[in-house]
Formats: sequence, structure tokens, C-alpha cells
Amino acid sequence: MFMKIILQLIVLCSLLMGSAAYAEKITAPVGKAADALNKDSECTRCHDENEKKPILSIAQTAHGNKADSRTPSCQSCHGDSEKHLSSNSNPPDVIFGTKKGAYSPSEAKDQNKACLTCHEKDPKRTHWQGGAHQTADVTCSSCHVSHTAHDKVRDKKTQPEVCFTCHKDQRAQISKFSHHPIGEGKVACSDCHNPHGSTGPKLLVKNTVTETCYTCHAEKRGPFLWEHQPVTEDCTNCHTPHGSNITPLLKSRAPFMCQECHDGSHQSVSPVAGNAAGTQGGLTTVPSENFTGRACINCHSMVHGSNNPAGALLQR
Amino acid sequence: MKTHNEEMKVRILALAVRCALLATVALPLGAYADDDDLKHPTNTVNFGSLYTSQSSARFGQYNGLNKEGFYGLGGFDVRGGDGYDQDKNSALRWKLNGTDLGTTSRNLGASITDQGKWKVNLGYDELQHNITDTFQTPLQGDPGGNNFTLPANFGAVNSATGQSSARVLTPNQQSAFHTEKEQTTRRNSSLGTSYTFTEQLSAQIDYNHLEQSGAKLIGTGAQGGINLLGGSSGRAEGNNIIMNPTSYSTDNVTAALNWKGEKAHLTGGYFGSMFHDDYNSLSWQNALETGASTCKGVNCYTNNTMSTAPSNSLHQANLSGGYDFTPATKLVGGFSYGYNTQNDSYAPTLIPQASGTAYNMMQANGLAASSLNGHVETKHGDLKLTNQSIKDLTLTAAFKYNERDNRTDSSTYLYKDLGNVNYTGVNTPYSNKKTQYEVAAAYRLTKAQNLRLAYERESLKRWCDGVVGGAQCVSSPTSDEDKVGLTYRLKAFDDVTFNAGYSFAKRNANFDHNFVANTGIYAPTIAGTLNARDVLGFVAYPYATRAQNLVKSGINWQVTQKVDMGVNGRYTVDDYDATLGVQNGHSAGVNVDVAYNYEENSSVSAYWSWQNGQRNMRNGGSGTIGNSSAAVNGAASQAVAPKNIWANQLEDNSNTVGLLTKNGGLLGGKLEILGDFSYAFDTSGYSTQVFYTPTTGNPPAAPISVPCGDSNSLTCGNLSPIKNELFSVKLTGNYKVHKNGKVALAYIYQKLNSNDYFYNGQQFGYTPNRVMPTGLQAQDYTVNVVALSYSLAF
Repeated sequence: MFMKIILQLIVLCSLLMGSAAYAEKITAPVGKAADALNKDSECTRCHDENEKKPILSIAQTAHGNKADSRTPSCQSCHGDSEKHLSSNSNPPDVIFGTKKGAYSPSEAKDQNKACLTCHEKDPKRTHWQGGAHQTADVTCSSCHVSHTAHDKVRDKKTQPEVCFTCHKDQRAQISKFSHHPIGEGKVACSDCHNPHGSTGPKLLVKNTVTETCYTCHAEKRGPFLWEHQPVTEDCTNCHTPHGSNITPLLKSRAPFMCQECHDGSHQSVSPVAGNAAGTQGGLTTVPSENFTGRACINCHSMVHGSNNPAGALLQR
Repeated sequence: MKTHNEEMKVRILALAVRCALLATVALPLGAYADDDDLKHPTNTVNFGSLYTSQSSARFGQYNGLNKEGFYGLGGFDVRGGDGYDQDKNSALRWKLNGTDLGTTSRNLGASITDQGKWKVNLGYDELQHNITDTFQTPLQGDPGGNNFTLPANFGAVNSATGQSSARVLTPNQQSAFHTEKEQTTRRNSSLGTSYTFTEQLSAQIDYNHLEQSGAKLIGTGAQGGINLLGGSSGRAEGNNIIMNPTSYSTDNVTAALNWKGEKAHLTGGYFGSMFHDDYNSLSWQNALETGASTCKGVNCYTNNTMSTAPSNSLHQANLSGGYDFTPATKLVGGFSYGYNTQNDSYAPTLIPQASGTAYNMMQANGLAASSLNGHVETKHGDLKLTNQSIKDLTLTAAFKYNERDNRTDSSTYLYKDLGNVNYTGVNTPYSNKKTQYEVAAAYRLTKAQNLRLAYERESLKRWCDGVVGGAQCVSSPTSDEDKVGLTYRLKAFDDVTFNAGYSFAKRNANFDHNFVANTGIYAPTIAGTLNARDVLGFVAYPYATRAQNLVKSGINWQVTQKVDMGVNGRYTVDDYDATLGVQNGHSAGVNVDVAYNYEENSSVSAYWSWQNGQRNMRNGGSGTIGNSSAAVNGAASQAVAPKNIWANQLEDNSNTVGLLTKNGGLLGGKLEILGDFSYAFDTSGYSTQVFYTPTTGNPPAAPISVPCGDSNSLTCGNLSPIKNELFSVKLTGNYKVHKNGKVALAYIYQKLNSNDYFYNGQQFGYTPNRVMPTGLQAQDYTVNVVALSYSLAF
């Protein structure tokens, strides 16, 4: 009998020690971190390492760095969820996501409120309210995953596929003959756009289109001695940034592109189509340099502006 | 004495104790092991080799795989720091990563942070842009350099009018052509740091150094009026396509000080961008001459110079922030002031010639200054007020202002144009400002329905200050655009969402057909300068009055938890109010997506995208049909319209289909197979039509179309469309050889069929007689790639 009691005590102690050791692993930190972990433990009792979605891997993210006093607990984002704690047939207060799973996602404003509580006053999110994504009910979780170490939208190589979930025209455009290296992972959507809202058109990161483009193409900034007016106003007068069938990222090709703005000077008045040789030839029997290949830009090649004192016609 | 039973009890007890002790140790460890895997980062190192079957600049345009042969593969992602250990009360974490290390597309990064206190990150990114490997030139000089010369024995090329192009190049000249690869390389180094002083105050500085090298092709027109030995002279506008160096560096600095309080936040910052070009000019020799010549040797060529991109800088101060009047009423805004300068020395205008007499591109006393001393002030202001104090209603009012104020002096530059004719150039520094107002209301009709109505007004003003001689610089000094938009969203069921939107925009532009521009040599008569010498009635499309309609709609259906479908489309129509110029255009797009996630790690998805665009232009022309005057806006003597009207239509068509598959959990969870198939077919076609009005009149009689083959016809008809057809297959198999090791075998097949008339006129035999051939070819390729790599996780 005594031995039986001893045995039971040992087993009990063993289990307790094991549990204690395990619990200690979770709650060892002190101070705010310990408080946050204690709050988390209400959730991780059930949502443990066996979850289909890796809940605990949030520890690898900035949101799981408990020694940072700003780090949230589960309840900071999902709410106290008391009903859910009493029965898992009730959803937590805030369900993130865009698709229906075990529960329906919360409304966009409720999801976003949870994130903006901490992130709204970040300078990059100043213009979220009233911005294109906010007014279209895009949620933070439409793009971000917060429980895994790899948040696709914050990785240059994988970000575009997240954006293309909605922006499908651009998905097709980036594989056109002329394109920025977006699919190749060298340029990300966020290099030009701020999805959280901005002062620029089309959520551009800078105040204007030209300012945004000059970030990488500063050689076009000038000011030049001889300016080309549409260039100083908006690069998209001639270029289409997501991809084009006409190099380099052009909306149209010379001479037709030039003829959209010029119809008088030099050869810009001439209609040009295929000649007898099957090439773009103009009025002459042999191909004309005015219409063939680079056409106008064979000579007027300084289309972004010229800094040559003898270059008023953008030729030098 | 112990009985056998007692011994047995002791043994069982001992066994139980051992089991319990084992359980004490093993159970938590077992639990912790999984737990640990999730909470601690997985480091990876991968390495291997890749083989590409064909050299192709186009295939390797951005991926660094432009040459046939073997490449090394390498990458790593290593993270650590006490911040990953919850036993330690530390927020310190660090990370090292690298990708594509064996190619010219490599990337390296490092960061360390004591989260919430400070962060430092370093980065290096390389990108070689391979543009073409078929460019041929007789010019000698290093790609990336700024001086190109012809071989001494190349000789002159007779480019007199009427010469057939190919025949004027001798076998000796053709043998001088050699292939140069056109490519540029960007090396981007970055250093960033941030520091949090308090919960309210933080600062950050980011520095980025971009180094560029290589060259891009550029068209050049040669200088006329330079006499050569042998009785000939240099051909004005003789075209040589040459390699323009991109020997650039750009330093960007962003600094910000951020403050945030309970109800407000404020950021003050600086952005600096310093661009430097190692060159300010590009020189080359031209062998194209005005007639037949027996000249041999270096004296048979003219020397030419043009400018390159000037070094410049921008310094910008920024202030932005927000204030919450109440939780439901918020105001945000900002202000920026930028100062952009450029004072690079002008390219040389006195060009030494091999014959001994330098050619001066400027007339006597024609050079107003040796550099521009250009400066532009940019100003930006914005304010946005949002209010959600009425249930289900969100109101927004916003204001934005952007100004580019070019304060550069206007001066007169007297020079000689390419035809060696005196030209009076007056620089016209362009300024513009845009003011935008927006009000919007979003209302939640029901829990499932949202409606948003927005109105926007945009006013644009363009001007030039202090232009010498008072010449005008803009044809459209002002324009106003009003835009209304309506968006509706419906969540029909839990699984179905629908959206639709419509917007209408009307731009009213003031356009001055009596606009008198400085047009250099074309200035002697006012009539010659009217409408910037464009045909009267012609309006450049960015400055035309325009109406724009846009309709879009989409539906997404989560059929089951495993199946999703989506369809969306858009249609836009633009109409321009212009007698001549771009008349109208439309664009349309449809996207269809289906995804089936049939198992946890297995899925298949497919998509189809179709896009179409059309743009119609109507211009006044010249040609073999005699013109007669038809005054527009009362201006006399310069008129073509409505005679000799011609039209041009651009039509773009694009189809893309894709299939993505992922099949995981094979061979007991060891094998995963990924597939990515895509097909894209893009065409761009131009069609030119010429119409003739049999009589003048107002309104003119209905135009008639003349067959393009008619001897009186101007050039018309269809150009063969620009076609690009890309077929791509990528198959990847990942096999787990042990718990932490994975072998990946990938196969890529990519085929491009490219057909573009652009290249026709660049071949021997088709080159215009004033253009030096380049031999540029359409960049078809068929490339097979096999890659084998090993990835170790630890």
C-alpha cells in the first residue's frame, strides 16, 4: 500500500515537474513580457503547436518579441473573447482574414482597428484613413500574415503575388515584353506605391509621379537647359510603368507617339505606314530614317531633355 | 525474506518509476521540441548548380542567366539573437540573408535590432540589365566609355539622297562591324538605422548608394557643314546608333524625426538625392557623307559631340502629421519644400576635327553661359479631414497642392543646327502647379452593402517666367478637371462578394491656337510660329479637353472552403475635343481566376487575363496632294486641315493564361512538386488611313477613302503587328532527404517568339541610306534550364 502511494506520488510529481518545466519555458520572462505571456497562455492552452495554422510561430515575428514592451498579447488584437473562452462554438471577438473558415471574418473596420491601435500613427500610415485601400474595405490581413515568420508581402520576391490577388491587370502586364524586374524579384510594388495611403496619385510613395520615378532614374531629373514639357509634368504621358509590348515601357512608338503631340514640324505631319518593302517607310521608295527604327528618335534622342547649348531641338 | 511476488512488485515499481522519470524528462522535451520549432527561426543554407542551354540577353534580361553554361546557386537565411529565447528578457535579434549569389542578380542583407530601441540594417543588391546581344557597330570604344572612333580604313559612306542603303557599304566596311553587348549594371548599397528615444520619439536615417555602369543605345544625328577631304562633307542628320554610357552614381539620404502623442503625431524629415554622371558629353565619328568620296583614313570622318545626363541634386524638407479631434474626426496633412539644382558644365561646343579645323556649334558670342545654373523649387501641401461621427457614414475632404517652379534663367543660345543653319534658341523653363480638392462619402447601406460617392476637382496651371523675347512656352496655360465616382460593394452571401464602380471625368483645357512659340530658325513670320508650327486645329492630347468614362465590376465566390472563383472586368472610354490630334481611345480588361486547394499542401489554380486598348488619331498631313488654306481661329496662311486628313489607329491586344500547381505530401510527405505554366500573347498594330475631301467647304464634304496602293495616295495601310509570344514552363521537385535536408530539382523551359518591324530598318539591305546599320535582331529564344540544389535547415 505504501509503495503504491509512493508510486502514485512519484508519477504525480513527475507529471507536475514536467508540466512545470514546460510552463517555465513559456513563462520564464519577467515584467511586461511575463504579463503578456500569461495573457497569451489563456489562448495557447488550446491553440498550441498542434494547430493547423502555426499560431505559436508568431514568436518569430516582431509581434512575438516579448521583451519589447510594445509587443501585443493575443487579446490585444483578437479581443478578450470571453464568449469564445467559454465555448469554442463562439468566435473570438475579432477574426482576421478575408475568407470564411471555421468562423466568418470580422468586418474590415473591426479588423483594421485592432492593427491601427498601434500602427496608425506610424508616418507611413498617416494617409490610411480615406485612402484607396481603406475605402475599399481592404483589411490589413488581406495582405499581411502576422503569425508566421515569413510575411509574403514584406518580401520583395513574393510581394507582387500578394498584390496581384486583387490587381490582376498588373499581373499580366509585368510579363509583357518590356517590364520592370518585378516578376524577377528586383523591384517590388512598394518601391513605387505605399499601400497604406499616400499624398501621391495612385498611392505613389512620393508626392508626384515624376518624384517617384526620379528615385531610381535621377538622370532624368534635370533641370535641363532644354526641357520637354510633358516630361516635366508626368512620366506616364509616354510610359506605362507595369509593362508594355513596346520597349521601353512605352504607350506607343515613334513616330506615332510623337505625332500624338506634334503635327507640323519637320516630318510629324506625314502619315506613315508600311511601304512596298514591308517595312515602315513613309513616302520614299527606300526606307526613311524619319520613320524607320527609332524614327524621330533617331535624331531627337534627348527626349527627356538636353543640356547641350546647341540642343534646343533635343538632338544633342 | 522477499517473496517472488514482492520481487515482482519491486521490479514493477522500479519500472514504473523509471517510466515516470523518463516521462518527466521526455514528455516536456517532446512537447517543447515542436513548440521550439515554431518559436525559433529556421535557418537555411542552399547551394547548387544551374545550367542554361542558350545565351540570350532577353531571357537573362534581369535574372542574370544571359549566358549559356553553368552557374552557381547559393543563398542563406540565418537568424538569431536572445530575442528568440523567451527565457531571456532580451529583444535583440539579428538576421543575415543572401539570394542568387551565383548570378549578377545577387542580393545580400544584414540587420540587427534591439526591438523597440534601435535597429541597423545593411543591404547590397546587384542587377545587370541585359538589353541586347545583337547590336553591331563599326565604332570602336569600350562600352561604358564616352568616345567612339571609326577604324582608319573604314572609309566614307555615300549617303546622298536616292542611294540604296546596303549597297553603299563595301565588304571592307561590313567586315568592320562587330557585336557589342548592350547592358547596364546597378549596384545598390544601403545602410539604415533607427533609434527610439522614448515611446513618443524616434528617429531614422537611411542612406542608399546606387552605382550604375554600362551603356544604353541612343540615336544620334551627325553634324552637317563639316567639309572633308575628297570634296564631300559630313551628312547632316546622318544617324549612328551608339552606346550612351550610364556611368552614374546616385546617393539618396532619408532622415526623419518622428513624434507621436495620444492624439497627434508629427514627422519632420529630409530627403536628399545627389546624382552624379562621370561624363558630360559623348563623342563619336560619323562616316556618312553627302556624296561619293574616294577619301580614305581618319580625315574622312566628322567628329560629333552630344550631351549626357547632367549631374544634379535635390534637397527636400518634409513635415507631415495628424491630429485626432475626436476618435471619429481626424486631420492629417503635410508640407514639402524641395530645391533641385543643376549646374553641370555644358558639353564642349568647339569640336576638333581630324582635318584640323575645329567645328564650332555655336554662332559668334552665341554661348550665354558655360553652365545652366538651373534651379527648381518644388512645393507640396496636403490636408485631409475624415469624419465618422455619423453611424455608418464616413466623410472625407481633402486638398492637395503640388508645384514645380522652375526658377532657371531664360537665355538666348545662338547655335548652328545639325543642318549647319543658324538657330536662335531661347530656353523656356517650364513651371506648373496642380491643385486638387476631393470630397467623398462612404455609406454602409446595410451590413452587406456599401456605397461610396466621390467628387474631385483638379486645376492645373502652366507657365514660364521671364522668357527672353516674351515667347510663349505653353499652348494650354490652364485646365480644370471634374471627376465623379460611384462605387458599390455587396456581400451577397457569406461566400460571394460583388463590386461595381463608375466614374466620369471631364477635363476642360484652355488651348490657345494662336500660341506663338519660339521656334528658332522658324521665327521670321508669326504665321510660322502659330500653334507651335502644328497644323491649326491640332491639339496635343495631354492638353486637350477630354471626357473619360470608366466602368468596372467584379465578383468573387468562395464556392467551398477549397474552391475560389473570381471574375472582374473594366472598360474605359476617352474622348478628346480636338479637330486634329488624338480623337478617342478605349481600353478593356477581363480577368478570370479559379483556385482549388484540394489538400492542405496541394492546390491548383488557373487564370486568364485579356486586355485590349485602342487609340485613334486624326492628323492633318502633307504630301503629294496639293494643300489649300482653311483658316482656323482666324489665322491665315497656315492651314492644312481639313484637307489631307489622315488617321492612325493603335490597337493593343493581350492574352495571358496561367496554371499553377502544388502537389505536396507525396512519398510519405517527402516530396513536393510545383508547376508553373504560362502563355502570353501580345500584339500591337498600327493602321494608317488617308482620306481626301473632294472640295473645301464648311462643313467639308464627306471624306472619301483612296486605296493605299493609289499613286496619289499618301502612305497608308497596316504595319505588320508587333508580336510577342511567350511560353513558359517551370517544374520544381523538392525532396526531403532527411529531417533538415532538402534536394530541389527544377526545370525551366521558356520560348519567346518575337516579331517586330522595328528591326527591319536596321538590317543591311533595309537601312535608310542615312542610317548606319546595327544588325539588331528580334530577340527570339528557346531556353532550357536545369537546376539542382541542396537546402539545409538548422
